[in-house]
Amino acid sequence: MKLRDTVRRAGRSLRQAKARTLLTSLAIGVGAFTITLSLAAGAGGKQYAADIVNTNTNPRELYVQPKQEQQGDPSAPKEYSEAPTINYGGGFSLKTFQQKDINAMKELGNVQSVTPVYNVSAKYVTRPGEKKYTVGVEAYLGTVKQEYAAGAGPKGQADGVILTDAYAKALGFASPQKAVGQVVDVVIATPLGETKTYPLTITGVTKKSALSALTGSGGLQVQNDKVADMYKFANTGTPLENSFIAATVLAKDESNVKTLKQQLTDKGFDAQTAEDLMGFIFQFINVLQGILLGFGALAVLTSIFGIVNTQYISVLERTQQIGLMKALGMRRRDVGRLFKIEAAWIGFLGGAIGSGFAAFVSVIGNPVISEALSLGKTKLLIVEPLSVVIVIVGLMLVSVVAGILPARKASKLDPIEALRTE
Amino acid sequence: MIEVSNVSKTYGHKKNAFTALKDINFTIEDGASVAIIGKSGSGKSTLMHAMSGLDRPQTGQVIIDGQNILELKQKDVDKFRAQKIGFIFQSFFLQATETVSDNVSLPLEIAKVSKRARKAKITAALEAVDLSEKARNKAKDLSGGQKQRLVIARAIVNEPQIIFADEPTGNLDSATGEKIEELLFGYNKNNGVTLIIVTHDPDLAAKCDVQIHIRDGQVSSIKGDKAVVKTPKPIQVKKVQ
Repeated sequence: MKLRDTVRRAGRSLRQAKARTLLTSLAIGVGAFTITLSLAAGAGGKQYAADIVNTNTNPRELYVQPKQEQQGDPSAPKEYSEAPTINYGGGFSLKTFQQKDINAMKELGNVQSVTPVYNVSAKYVTRPGEKKYTVGVEAYLGTVKQEYAAGAGPKGQADGVILTDAYAKALGFASPQKAVGQVVDVVIATPLGETKTYPLTITGVTKKSALSALTGSGGLQVQNDKVADMYKFANTGTPLENSFIAATVLAKDESNVKTLKQQLTDKGFDAQTAEDLMGFIFQFINVLQGILLGFGALAVLTSIFGIVNTQYISVLERTQQIGLMKALGMRRRDVGRLFKIEAAWIGFLGGAIGSGFAAFVSVIGNPVISEALSLGKTKLLIVEPLSVVIVIVGLMLVSVVAGILPARKASKLDPIEALRTE
Repeated sequence: MIEVSNVSKTYGHKKNAFTALKDINFTIEDGASVAIIGKSGSGKSTLMHAMSGLDRPQTGQVIIDGQNILELKQKDVDKFRAQKIGFIFQSFFLQATETVSDNVSLPLEIAKVSKRARKAKITAALEAVDLSEKARNKAKDLSGGQKQRLVIARAIVNEPQIIFADEPTGNLDSATGEKIEELLFGYNKNNGVTLIIVTHDPDLAAKCDVQIHIRDGQVSSIKGDKAVVKTPKPIQVKKVQ
């Protein structure tokens, strides 16, 4: 029998047992649904992560930290070093950068600029007649794209500040628009209790976006010089005075980021490129996706037995038909192929139903998920056509494998015996 | 020409052995109509299976067109059946939910006839049995006589050399049975196709050129036109010592 005719006959046999075919397909469809959805979530997650990393990091930028010593045994004696450190007690300590480290980085070739990381926890932020709120202050980075509810970045304005719409609301502004141009007071305290008030003018109010989830920039953003000043004041008399936890190094060109990383490592620093950061996040997503895929595979495994069962019953029910076909001269191989193709049809149907439903769920679910997780316009479920094709073809192959045993039984039927069955 | 010589078939082993066919010998000329007559369990169906390549007797030869089909490989036997043999089964074995033309199409598909050629052959076969108008009906919606005509259409569609018919009128009333007989014998005479009918009905058998009686797995007598059926050699009785 020609392949085309076999495929046609297989499809017809399945149509004659519609309910059974559909139910068996649904079993495999559950697996297809889970697998497609986990692939979609993986693709969406990677896209989301890539968005975050691309908007928050510059590919030319390296995040540099002092190389920390192995702190395996806190009670082991450690050699004293002149390098500034923060001691937490109990033998734990954290090395920090000094200005001379920053200068050393600047002297490396290919470096455009080195910026120490200043992150300050303000005592509070407030304005006349409103409550006081604790807040973190960080440097405004022009390279990071942000969604503004109103206004814009501080640009050249030395005392400009950006706050989130949540802070704008808490500080009593009726709308983000009303907040722009107004002044808020940021109070910084030293560990000794001295305080200093920085009056800052609001230049922009940011929306909650995909970015805020990762960067945690839920606080205020001010010009670098301003936050440097706050940092200096806040850390007066502490080990962090004139030293920094980390620094960002901007390479002159994207092509020499790798060499620069090597140079920094040689100098005894711990440098991470934007790529490194992305790799870490991707690994995390891959693990999550792997777990979901595992569940999908388990569902498929279960449905394999469903297919084997269905096809066995089908062979038993159609003993006479098989006998007739063999009596009329159909070859054993062709009889087996007929049943394998039927199994493949079931796999195709299940794959199409499952991934179709997954695509439907992603269309319906994306706005809901984005709303619930405050992701803005980001889609967390991306059903790629290629992965749908792979899922369907893969399930067809799995189904054919499941159909091998029943197909063998069919091909081995003795036509005389089969025709004798009434 | 079909030459059957020294065909024996045994089922089971040793003590439980049952001999279904014992040293069968005869020759059938092309275009003859032959009745194989015998009671239930006489071995007549086994003989039909052996002659059509469905079954393999332990000994003997079945030579059709100079080719011993018992020596062929399985796939060549399958090919031989698909191309040269037409079957009419007592219980029809129609695909009830398929259309009449799809039922007739099955032997052609198995014989790998191209789709275009199939169409013409199906039309011709359905015309021959007067079922053209029912081509698109489901097989299950046909009457008993129509079903038997459909089975005949399926048997003749690929223009076989030999048609085996197992109790072709067994399930039909006498009026319908007669029409089927006319159809079969008409096709046999007009197309020169060898017709082999397996039956226990003496009236039907009498209409054939030759009657081969089978009893206990042996040919008990051959009656009728000696020109078309011969025993190639006298039955040898071996003395067992």
